[in-house]
Amino acid sequence: MAELSIKNVTKRFGETEVLKGVSLDIADGEFVSLVGPSGCGKSTLLRIIAGLEEQNSGDIRIGGTSVAGQRAADRNLSMVFQSYALYPHLSVGENIAVPLRMRRMSGLQRLPLLGGLMPGARAMARAIGHDVHRAAEMLEIRHLLDRKPGQLSGGQRQRVALGRALVREPAAFLLDEPLSNLDAKLRVQTRAEIAQLHRRLETTFVYVTHDQVEAMTMSDRIAVMMGGRILQCAAPDVIYEDPDRIEVAEFIGSPKINILPLEVGDDGRLSLLDHALNLAVIDGTRGVASLGLRPETLRLTRGKSPLRGRVVHSENLGAEIFVQIEVAGLAERVTLRAGPEKRNTLALGTSVALDFDIDKALVFDADGARLRKLRHVTRATAEVA
Amino acid sequence: MTRDWWKHLILIIGVIIVIAPFYMMVSYSFKSPGEIDRGEGGFFGQQELMVAPRCVALRTPGRDDIAAASSRFAGASDAEIRDALVAEAEADCSIRPVVFNYTQAFTEAPLLRYLLNGVIVTASIFLIQVVVALPAAYALAKLRFWGRDAVFGLVLFCLLIPVHAIALPLYIMLAKLGLTNTYAALVVPWTVSVFGIFLMRQFFLTVPDDLIDAARMDGMGEFAIVWRVMLPTAIPALLAFAIFSVVAHWNDYFWPRIVVTGNRDLFTPPLGLREFKGDGDGSFFGPMMATATVIVTPLIVAFLLAQKRFIEGITLNGMK
Repeated sequence: MAELSIKNVTKRFGETEVLKGVSLDIADGEFVSLVGPSGCGKSTLLRIIAGLEEQNSGDIRIGGTSVAGQRAADRNLSMVFQSYALYPHLSVGENIAVPLRMRRMSGLQRLPLLGGLMPGARAMARAIGHDVHRAAEMLEIRHLLDRKPGQLSGGQRQRVALGRALVREPAAFLLDEPLSNLDAKLRVQTRAEIAQLHRRLETTFVYVTHDQVEAMTMSDRIAVMMGGRILQCAAPDVIYEDPDRIEVAEFIGSPKINILPLEVGDDGRLSLLDHALNLAVIDGTRGVASLGLRPETLRLTRGKSPLRGRVVHSENLGAEIFVQIEVAGLAERVTLRAGPEKRNTLALGTSVALDFDIDKALVFDADGARLRKLRHVTRATAEVA
Repeated sequence: MTRDWWKHLILIIGVIIVIAPFYMMVSYSFKSPGEIDRGEGGFFGQQELMVAPRCVALRTPGRDDIAAASSRFAGASDAEIRDALVAEAEADCSIRPVVFNYTQAFTEAPLLRYLLNGVIVTASIFLIQVVVALPAAYALAKLRFWGRDAVFGLVLFCLLIPVHAIALPLYIMLAKLGLTNTYAALVVPWTVSVFGIFLMRQFFLTVPDDLIDAARMDGMGEFAIVWRVMLPTAIPALLAFAIFSVVAHWNDYFWPRIVVTGNRDLFTPPLGLREFKGDGDGSFFGPMMATATVIVTPLIVAFLLAQKRFIEGITLNGMK
């Protein structure tokens, strides 16, 4: 068990800069997800932590000591791969035993036939067998120990890969999209199991995924990566409700957040589709900005509203419906989340007006950075202005 | 008849062309010299008793033999005794052609010794080829190092060099090292197989990188990865390579003929066939073809066995 510390790590593959100075501190026992679109450098960062790839600059510390130049094998980390990467010629039990055999046994003791005759080899093999059984029991795969990976289902292989990772009690677990090859139902189930495993082992987990749902449901903290940088690293609810940048707001949340164009007036007052809002910036930002509205912050209204449009598509998920509304003056459709009781009022083609809670609106400047310093403008002052 | 009958026809003609020499070889190994000369007797020959000429020649009665036998043939003249002895010898030397051919194959030349030499040479060549080719192929397929593409280019270039072009320099080098007429001369020139490196590299490219990374995380060094991870996953490719390698060196006549001069203890099976080339005293096609049959049998058996494993190896693939 150990904390991980990543300082200003950069990585180039030829001309392309994959990581542009990434820093991240992970506490002992924490579950941190690295999430981002494909090609954002999250897997590369994980491989650098593992020691499978070497950074061009920057430092990695595990438990306070720098691991620069250390081989992957010497870092005492375990990794679970997307493809499971089980040894196809070994049985499940032998697969799980490999990391223990490589670490505890000498080269002579590992020899195929003579190894068993070496002094101490028998006792060692028994101890390893005991540990393998314990790991298998924890993951409920004891009945599979004699099978070959080729005879297992995807979910079973996933468990074996987890077993191989946890059998030697590493300082931290690195998981590289471990659920991507499972079907949807199994993914949900395994997701919960990995989270439980983390609670039980109380070890540091670093989890790479492109699936924001996995990141949201399992992590203590989420690091959202894009273009080789960590844009924001915070608890899931903070990432969702209080994103630092527009990219983070857009990446996290399904369906996607609605981004509407804003005008910042000379006095700092914000207006949406030529309709002044009760909100103004206090710093010097002028010109264009963006307004982020989660689908659940929108609600139907009968009153005055700048957002008026027609229902063009709706998705019924049973417990809720997502309605896409074409708003006049907006290039993109606005998504509204509504309860199933609204189904009848939201038939295709219906004209609707949308209202939103100004306190839950997220304002971003033209560069995509969040504008947190806003002041409320009362209607009276607005009219005076 | 399906519409594809012409495909079968072409295949059947191809099979006949390939099988014909084997048919002749096996058939000749059954027949008597007379039947071979006259081209009669079908596949098995008549298997009529024949007289082994050398056996009779060895027992041609001399003056002492006739004197010694005179007690058995009381009252007969020397000429009569001599004829009787010759008749006895011919009766004793009468033998079925198939038995004659195969006993000749094993007695005229130390065929078992030749077969043993063949096993020693081909097995050594294959083992050392694997020991060299597997790490080389792994490095070329999975490791990133400066000049890798250039090295692989050289491997491809070496594939283009025919053996016969460099045979003479190789022979001179071995001769200067004093290695001619040794097992080393038969084995060493073949230990680095660029074909093996190329074949295994192509196979290793299909092994997922994750598997190698997992092995590294599990604490394996690069050599451990080659022998403990890559080798077991590469069994089907190794079997394919083994077929090429073993067949080529078991059947090789050219190279052993060059580096083994005189020492019959080092003869490989194909060199053994030379024992039956007809020198003046008639042809020995029967025993020669029997020898040839004995030589190819292990290869055919090994191929049939390997072919089965080969298909199993491809279908029982746990990488998916």
